[in-house]
Amino acid sequence: MKTLFLGALAARVAPRILAKMAEKDKIEPTIQADLNDQQKMIPALAEAEIVVCHIWREDFPQAPRLKLMQTATAGIDWIEIPALPSGVTVCNVFGHEPAIAEYIMGTMLALTLRLFQTVEDFRGGSWGGHQPAGGSPHGEIFGRTIGIVGYGRIGRDVAKRAASFGCKVIAANRSPIADKGDAAEIYPLAELDQMLPHCDVVVVAAGLAPETRNLLDARRIGLMKPTALVINIGRAPIINEDALFDALSNNRLGGAALDVWWQHFQPDQPNRRPSRHPFQELRNVLMTPHCSGFTDGTSDRRWGDLAANLDRFVRGETLHNIVLHT
Amino acid sequence: MKALFLGNVAVDTYNGIKDEIPADLETAVVLNPADLTPEHTAQAEILVSNHWKAEYPPAPQLRLVQSVATGIDLFELAALPKGAAVCNCFGHETSIAEYIIMTWLALHHRLFAIAGEFREHGSWASSWVQSGAPHGEVRNTTLGIVGYGRVGQEVARRAAPFGCRILAANRSTREAGAGVERVYPLAELDAMLPECDTVAICTALGPETTGLITAHRLSLMKPAAFIINIARGPVIDEEALYAALSDNKIGGAAIDVWWQYPSVAEPNRRGSRHPFHELPNVIVTPHNSGWTGGMIRRRWDENAENIRRFCRGDSLINLVATI
Repeated sequence: MKTLFLGALAARVAPRILAKMAEKDKIEPTIQADLNDQQKMIPALAEAEIVVCHIWREDFPQAPRLKLMQTATAGIDWIEIPALPSGVTVCNVFGHEPAIAEYIMGTMLALTLRLFQTVEDFRGGSWGGHQPAGGSPHGEIFGRTIGIVGYGRIGRDVAKRAASFGCKVIAANRSPIADKGDAAEIYPLAELDQMLPHCDVVVVAAGLAPETRNLLDARRIGLMKPTALVINIGRAPIINEDALFDALSNNRLGGAALDVWWQHFQPDQPNRRPSRHPFQELRNVLMTPHCSGFTDGTSDRRWGDLAANLDRFVRGETLHNIVLHT
Repeated sequence: MKALFLGNVAVDTYNGIKDEIPADLETAVVLNPADLTPEHTAQAEILVSNHWKAEYPPAPQLRLVQSVATGIDLFELAALPKGAAVCNCFGHETSIAEYIIMTWLALHHRLFAIAGEFREHGSWASSWVQSGAPHGEVRNTTLGIVGYGRVGQEVARRAAPFGCRILAANRSTREAGAGVERVYPLAELDAMLPECDTVAICTALGPETTGLITAHRLSLMKPAAFIINIARGPVIDEEALYAALSDNKIGGAAIDVWWQYPSVAEPNRRGSRHPFHELPNVIVTPHNSGWTGGMIRRRWDENAENIRRFCRGDSLINLVATI
């Protein structure tokens, strides 16, 4: 069964996936890192029954035998679905949700407890945060209301952890939720405007889709408390770039932790700034380079799950994490 | 009945709770102890303060001494009348537990290094797309809590849903459970330390805990292990910790409590003889892990509760000693 590990990410992790497979003798792997090398892409895609890749583009060569498109990511927003041949099953992977839930709790605490500012001041020699020195007290998350936009696997993992801190968790989701988990209340996404004013922290944990693009625009940011924190680990375009920068730089929001961005590094600009706006100059922003889920634990879980799905396909068993059929 | 509120913290407390204590309670509110007169003290049955000294005008009627802090070491107990109940207050365990979980996560996730490089230099080296070295997570790691009291138990409760293994060590016997796999006697600390990916020091300072974490005990820890201290500086050997961190014998630390403190003459005095603040693997904070608006409110509430109980003749909470 011809299997193509396509693109830089799949090419890099192919050895780790193959090492975890039980049926690896049956998959005839080919590795093709460069998506722009038509010479090699044409024969590789002509044969492939399985493609492991998180990207699919209209300009890719024909893939007439393709049956399983196994992404190496959770998001499928880099896959042009209409460009896939018909009869293909698209599966994604997870395993990142505990790591991202940890990132969300860690940054929520760091922003609320003013960790970065306190450490910077203290490294400089100031005991300003010390009680006998007359320092002003910092915040705590106990008793705060956390609103999660997109109540999927990550949202549930956040709710479970936040509940033990004495936080109230509410959430908004596109589709109805039968099991609320540790959330007190679930709003339909259409009623997001009712949820936002209650939140001390708004966590964006949704996928990028037509309903979520530009979801948090200037008007909705205006519905939030002026002290509210925004944490985005979903996709950047869910939040309006201009409106968020404007609100943060004018203290109409309390702060933000941002892991996903509107623009990324390029081969000729390895240190490209992640936005048109200088978020790096704002003291109330904690910024990381799309790494929240990138832990050693995620790698173990994710490549193990992906290998198990390839094994299932080879054996003709029911696949896990099916996103859609074309 | 008369109550005396003495000192700056007690004055803040009075302002916070004056509408929550019995209206017929007669109150004297004195900011500066130098202003104390026998008129304030002679008839007072309740003292709310963080200290008391033998040199103050006598207060022979005191029956409730309500400390506005947890520690009562600034009260000269011998100067208090026989029969007086000394009570303290807490409210910091919630905020300190949050600090411990926060720094535990920040250390494992390398949050300072990653966020610092991204902010300062625009470095995407840690991005998963860029295939930088992955960072750690706390799931499936082992957290060891030294001192399983109020703070330690609050830490365990919050850490458990992260899917980690939790161990504890305590001077007196405590039950395991609530996510804690085992509570070691403090005498068996050496058996717990090699198991831990993070050691959180939550014990009080006492004869058994001064210098508890020696060079030898630091060497029992894993080479990548983190240590978090929110208790008191002298629980850990200052020299040994600096040596272990600067030589990368352990993975890193979060330090909130120090071996030396600022004074009026030296407001920016460093917390140690050694430059911990220059080490990249150390999160340093100025003894403020518990200092939150929520803690202040909870302490006020506990103070007001005890005053109301005393006025009603009910049993007191947080009783530490009866003189």
